[in-house]
This record gives sequence, C-alpha cells and structure tokens, in this order.
Amino acid sequence: MKTSATDLELAIQMDEAARVAHELRLKRDRQERNGRILKHIFLIIVSCVMLYPLFWLLASSFKPENEIFGSLTLWPSEFQFENYTKGWYALPMSFTVFYVNSAIVTGLSVIGNLVSCSFAAYAFARLNFTGRSFFFALMMMTLMIPYHVVLIPQYVQFLNLGWVDTYLPLVVPRFLASDAFFIFLMVQFFRQLPRELDEAAMIDGCSPFKIYWAIILPLSLPAMGTAAIFSLIWVWEDFLAPLIYLNDIKSYTVPLALRLFLDQEGQSAYGQMFAMSVLSLVPVVIFFVLFQKLIVRGIATSGMK
Amino acid sequence: MAGLTLRNVGKRYGALSIIQGLNLGIHDGEFLVLVGPSGCGKSTLLRMIAGLEDISEGTISIGGKVVNDLPASKRELSMVFQSYALYPHMSVRKNLAFGLQNFKVSRSEVERRVAEAARILQIEQLMDRKPRQLSGGQKQRVAIGRSIVREPQLFLFDEPLSNLDAELRVQMRAELASLYARLGTTMIYVTHDQVEAMTMASRIVVLRGGKIEQLGTPQDLYTRPQNLFVAGFIGSPKINMLQAKATREAGRTVVSVAGMPDFAIAELPTGDQALTLCVRPSSLRVGSGDVTGEGTIRLVEYLGSETLLHIALSSGQVLLVSDNGRTSYRMGDPVTIGFDLPDLHYFDSTGQRIEPIQKESQAQ
Amino acid sequence: MKRFFARNAPAYVFLLPWLIGFFLLALGPILASLYLSFTRYDMVSAPRWIGWGNYEYMFTRDRRFWKALEVTFTYVALAVPARLIMALGVAMLLDKGLRTIGLYRAIFYLPSLLGASIAIAILWRQLFAADGVVNQVLAMVGIQGASWITDPDTSLYTLVVLAMWQFGSPMLIFLAGLRGIPRDLYEAAEIDGTPRWRQFTRITLPLLAPVIFFNLVLQTIDSFKTFSSAFIISNGTGAPADSLLFYTVYLFNEAFKFFRMGYASALAWFLLVIIATFTAIAFFTSKYWVHYENERD
Repeated sequence: MKTSATDLELAIQMDEAARVAHELRLKRDRQERNGRILKHIFLIIVSCVMLYPLFWLLASSFKPENEIFGSLTLWPSEFQFENYTKGWYALPMSFTVFYVNSAIVTGLSVIGNLVSCSFAAYAFARLNFTGRSFFFALMMMTLMIPYHVVLIPQYVQFLNLGWVDTYLPLVVPRFLASDAFFIFLMVQFFRQLPRELDEAAMIDGCSPFKIYWAIILPLSLPAMGTAAIFSLIWVWEDFLAPLIYLNDIKSYTVPLALRLFLDQEGQSAYGQMFAMSVLSLVPVVIFFVLFQKLIVRGIATSGMK
Repeated sequence: MAGLTLRNVGKRYGALSIIQGLNLGIHDGEFLVLVGPSGCGKSTLLRMIAGLEDISEGTISIGGKVVNDLPASKRELSMVFQSYALYPHMSVRKNLAFGLQNFKVSRSEVERRVAEAARILQIEQLMDRKPRQLSGGQKQRVAIGRSIVREPQLFLFDEPLSNLDAELRVQMRAELASLYARLGTTMIYVTHDQVEAMTMASRIVVLRGGKIEQLGTPQDLYTRPQNLFVAGFIGSPKINMLQAKATREAGRTVVSVAGMPDFAIAELPTGDQALTLCVRPSSLRVGSGDVTGEGTIRLVEYLGSETLLHIALSSGQVLLVSDNGRTSYRMGDPVTIGFDLPDLHYFDSTGQRIEPIQKESQAQ
Repeated sequence: MKRFFARNAPAYVFLLPWLIGFFLLALGPILASLYLSFTRYDMVSAPRWIGWGNYEYMFTRDRRFWKALEVTFTYVALAVPARLIMALGVAMLLDKGLRTIGLYRAIFYLPSLLGASIAIAILWRQLFAADGVVNQVLAMVGIQGASWITDPDTSLYTLVVLAMWQFGSPMLIFLAGLRGIPRDLYEAAEIDGTPRWRQFTRITLPLLAPVIFFNLVLQTIDSFKTFSSAFIISNGTGAPADSLLFYTVYLFNEAFKFFRMGYASALAWFLLVIIATFTAIAFFTSKYWVHYENERD
C-alpha cells in the first residue's frame, strides 16, 4: 500500500465536499422552514376567511337585533340569550316538536341505510351469483340519477298509498337501499377484506348470513361508522323531500321550520332565526368533530362527495 | 378419517380449462402432496375438494360419499390457508372455538378440544391475544390449531409454510410431520416446494397444466421419474439433461452424446431415435465411472457439505456435478467426468421414460 | 338447476331490499316519468296523452326553460372550475412540507358538510344583503357594494361563492391523489434543477389528471342538481328576475306549485339526458381512474 499525496488530496477534497453539502443542507432547511411558516400564515388566513361566516352566524345569534347588521365584530356588546329562548317558541309549534321529528326521521333513516345497503354491498362484494355484474352496473347507474327525475312518479305513488304527510316516504326508501352511494362505499370497503376469511368461515360451518354477521360486519365497523355519519348528516339536512311530503307543521323537520322564519321576514326576528340556525347545525358539527377521521377516510376510499 | 376418490374431475372458467379429466384415489390416512409449478391447478383442485370452488365435471367423493353438491361446511374437513385467514377481531381462543360453536359442539367439549390443541401446538400462553399480536410462526400454529380442534376426516393445507422464513419453515415442516404421525388423519397438502413434498409425503402428485404427470412415493419420483417434466421438477440441484442419439445394433443399443464417447446399453424398446439422457448431479463423479469424458471446470460453488461444479464438455454443454470429495478445484481446471450406466434415465422424443429391455446384462 | 338455485339464493336474499327499491323507486318511476312527459297531468284528472307537446313547448316556446338552462349552465361553468381550482390549490399547499394538516383539513372540509343545510342558505342571504357583512368589508376599503342578492346581475355570483366555499370534498380527493404520486419523482426533478412551476406542469398535473377528471365529472353532475340553496336564496321562485331560476327550482315549481306534472316530467327527463351525457363520458373513461383490487386468479 502506498500512502501518497493523491490520497491526502482526495481526503481533503472529500472533506470539502462534505462541508459544502452540509451548508447546502442547512440552507435548504432554512428555506424550507421559511416556506413552512409562509404556508402556515397563508393557510391560517384562508381558515379565518372560511370560518368567518360561521362565527358571524354564531355571534349574531347572541346579538341584540340592532347590532346584527352594520357591525363586523364577532363580540356582542351584550349576550342576548333571549334569541334562543324566544326563537325556540317563535313558531306556531315549539322547536322541541321539530327536533323530535327530525330525530325520528334521521334515526330510522340511518338504521335503514345501514341495514339495507350493507346487505346489498355484501352480496355485491362477497357473494358469487348469476347477474352480479349486471346488477352492479345498474346500481352504479342509479348513483347518477337526479332525485328530481324520480320525484314526480314517486310523489304520485306515495300519494296513492296515502303516505303523504307521514314519515313513510322519507324513511321507507332508505330501508330499500335507495341511496346507492352507501352501497358503493361499503362495497369498496368489503372488497379489501381478504377472501380467505369468508372461506375459512365457510369451512368453519358458517352460512352466508353468519359470515356477514360474525365476520364482515365486525371487521367493517369503520365503514359502517362512515356510512352512519354521512347518512345522519345528509338526512338531518335534507330539505327537498320533507318539503314535498310534509305539509302539516306538526310533522315538520328542523330545516322546514327554519324556512318558516324566512316566510315571516319583515318581522325582524333575525336574532332568533340565527339562533335556531346555529342550533340546527350543532348536531352536524358535533358529529363532524367526533368522527372527523372516519369522514375523511370515507371520502378517500369512496372517492366521492 | 376417510379416503378420497376423484373421478374424471374437471374445472373450467368459461372457455378456460384449469383441470381436465383427473382421476385420483387417496388412501385413508395418507399424506398426499400436490406439487407443481404455479398455475398448474393444484390450489384449484384443493379448493374443489374443500367445496370452495364448483366442480365443473366429474365427481369427488370423501369416504365413499359423493360431495359435489355438499357445501364446504358439510364435508367434515378443515383447511389451513396460505395467509392463515385467522379472524382478526377474535382472540386466539375464539378463533379456535368459532367453528366448533357453529357445529353446536357442547361447551365442555369445546373447552376440552381447544385446550388439547393449545397444548399440542404449545400456544397456551397466546390464547387471549389477537392475531395481529402474533408472529408469523405463531399465526401458523393457531391456524393449524383451528383445523385440528374440528377433528375432521380430512385435513387440507394450501401452501401453509410459504409465508414463513426459511428457518421457521424447516421447523414447522418437522412439526407438521410429527402432527401427522400423531393424528394419522388423511391430509392433502399443496405446495410448490419440492423439498416440502419430498420430506412429508406418503405419496406425491406432480401436476402440470391441470393434468397428473406422475403419482408415486417420493422415492418413485426421484429414482424413476416417468417423464422429463418430473425428472426436471423433482431433485435439487436440478437434473442434467443431454441430447443423445440411440442406434440399435445386434441386441444392444449404442448411445451417442456430443462431448462424450459412445457407449452401449441393453436394447431400448424404441429402436433408432433421438432421446434425452438425464443424470442427477449426485450421480456424476469427477475422475471415474462406467463412461468417462473430458471437460473443463467453469464455476465452483462451495456449499460446505458438497461442492457444485459446473463442468463444460468439449461440446460446450455444461453439466452440474455435486461432489462431496475433499479435493479443491479451481476454475479452468481440466477434469475427467464420469457416470455409471444404472444411474441414467432415458426419455423418448415425447418426453416419456423408456427402459432398457434387459437391465441386468448391461453391467460389464 | 337445484345447484343453480342453491348457489344464487343467498345472494338474492341479501339483494332483495335493494332490488325492490330499484324497481319501485328508480326504474319504475323513471319509466313512469317518461310516460308522464308525453301527457298533460294535473293530479286531479287522469293523465292525457299529448304526444310530443310538452317537449315542443319546452324547446320552442318556453322562454323560462331556456332561462333556467342558461342560469344552470352559467352556474356550472363558473362554480365547478372555481371550486376545483380552490380545492387543488389548497390540497397542494397541504400536501407537501407540512407536518400537521389535520386541523386545516377539518376546517376546510366543514363547509362542505354544512353547505347543503338551510341554515347556511339563510346565512348566505344575510352575508350578501345590501347591509350585509360583505358590503361592510367592501366599505372599509371604500367600495360601494351592490345589493348582491336582489340585483339580477349579481345574484348568481353569490351562489358561485357559496359553491367555492364548499371546496372540501374535492380537496380531500385531490389530497388522496397527491399522496399517490411517488415522492422520488419530485426528488429526481429537484436534483435535475427543475423549477417548481415545471414540476407542477410536468409531474403533478399529468399524474393527477385522472383524479382531476374524476372530480370534474362528479362536481359537474352535482352542480346540475343544486337545489336547496338556490331555492332558499331566491325565496323559492328563482327571483330576482329569474336570475336564480335553477333548472331544479323551475322543475320543482312547475310540478309542486303549478301542478303541471306532465310538463315537469319532460323537464326532468331532459335533465336526466344532460346528466346521463356527463356520466357516460365518465363511465367510458373510467378505466383511467377506477381500479378494483378484486377477483382472485
């Protein structure tokens, strides 16, 4: 072995190179940190703009009537809880009735959606049967059908059945898996479970129903949770169907009741209207905060909504 | 326990035929291994026996009863899957008991059998864990446990060891063999690993393209492969194949191979023709033999217990020689390479085995 | 035959609720709606066959129909790109270089969940009212704002802004898509000294194209169906001066205010044709963006 000048030179060069690389890295880190800070500032501004209307709504619901307009501040000069107490009874029926109605419709609809859609999804995702791809294609097509197209015949149908002004037109379709989106969501999830589980269960003496109940459902709790939350929020916010099918104020859901405030416009009950609007959003926001992760993942797996 | 009979069994997916007209009898208490390259239909066949795939043609009977239309759960068999297929949301104990509960076995009996299986497989300390808290080998034990608590007539294994690392695989192989010795139940085992097949099987079925290439004991397959495919598939390192020419000459056949001197053997039944000559690396020797030729060492692979030599004949063909001598070899060395006539296998141009007519008269 | 039954029966039992629903709530109504579209039907007397009458009137004489189409298409043409650009921009900001994005993601998604509710529509009316929040902000920088909601020239834009505000779900889909782009592509480009803008046009956009397209189709279809917010903000009529006469609002009024069920059915069928066209485009190109991990060998 010969230790020569070239070896030494090489060592020095390498040292130099390492130093330069280190400096570059430091510079890049610095740039990245600055970039990150800028990004955060920008995103925080966007977040504020996004949330401002919601906070304004919240703030206005506590403000005295004369303060709602003409002021951008989010802090009421005095908190007017009256808006809530009066708003609750401002309509011919109290909001207790509307909330109970909404809860009934929403609760039944969520159950209906979960049961019927998971049934269909299980068949599509896990069972082999003649006509599967045909029916699956049909199901996917129903995804795009606008509600307005089936609305009129459905209305005539339900009218003839004497169901108008009951909750049946709102609830029964959900027990018939009318919202194909949830079938699609669950199919996507069920398909990810290993096929061998069903097969092992078959050999372990399970009927198709037992496989659904003891294997697929317990392993699909995240998907069922996502479906439950979406369906809860959408049914809660649903406006068109209740608008058409519910005529008697006694059976109104919350969104219909809110609309009544608009019809009384001019009587300047903005504070009360805002207070009730805030209340109507509360369940949605609570569920969103609690189940945010499920919702985000649900959208990512289904690629929709 | 039960034997199994497959009569003219076939499987088609639309126009695609996976298995054709397969006949097979499996004895009661036998350890039968289905082996073959991927796509040969071995897993499909196992799944048909299990009741996980429809049978397109023919009949499968277990213990003398045709099971074609019986669902998997009524066939009194159990299966170990390649992925183990443990129920992720159940503890080990529940995984073991789940099937028994479905079959309405009494609670005390379930407990007894689960405890027994846990003891045999040494998983007693794992009973309350979930599958995701287990190592690969532990999952494997649980999967086997799940199938033995059922006390089935028939065990099915679908490449159960292929997800394990090499060391664990050897260990589990031995355990499976001793489990078989203990239970004596009929077992059907699918693998693509010929070592697993050779070490565990009572008999082996070599499958290719949905057809049986050969059925026999491990010794049969190794010493008397019925065709070129089996000769090439069984045995590691792989058998040497040489193109040869047979010429009939007054009661004997002269075989000529490029790069080796011609040699005479007892008469082959087929007369003059091209044939393929096979000889296992372990049957080739450096230095001596009934027939010897000259070659050059191209590559030396030292494996400890043996040394693999890649030796090129003057024809350019490279032969693999397994040498367990102490001599050290170097690349480029010229060597003499030889074999004994009884160690040769002959295959005709269609790849079927042919035997010299009078075997005893050929040794000189 | 017996085997055929045994194999299929369980699946059809599971499918039964959906099958009933499909025939009674989808296929049946669609066919009924097709029939009704060729009739005059007021829900009092039986439907009367009038052939192509409804369609003829719709295309040749009904100016409100054309107005509704104009409003809806304008809305779609403005709202969809606005929402998607917003969604993609924010998704790209969130995708790289930030460690904690959960909170931003939640904040940006929240409006999408709330947006369909009546409460938000009510809020929107006040935000854009003559003395509403928007005009006060503008006044601070010395701009005299319009009376956005009641001015036919501007009312539609309030809904476009509402649509933009709800960019959350396409943003999440974009985020998932961006996550799917291998990081080493950007690192390779970085080493080659490719400027950021070119990285965007040469790597991000092409690899994200399927997702962009998917979002585009989905949002387009969704936007055609916009109803509640337009209904509330326009007082259920499409006012002012029909500038908020969304197709669905017009349809609703024809059906449930004037009980012209036959004509409304014709309107519904034309909407179906429009949406089916967009869906067909999506379907025939789906192989570029849908991938199923299924079906054993």
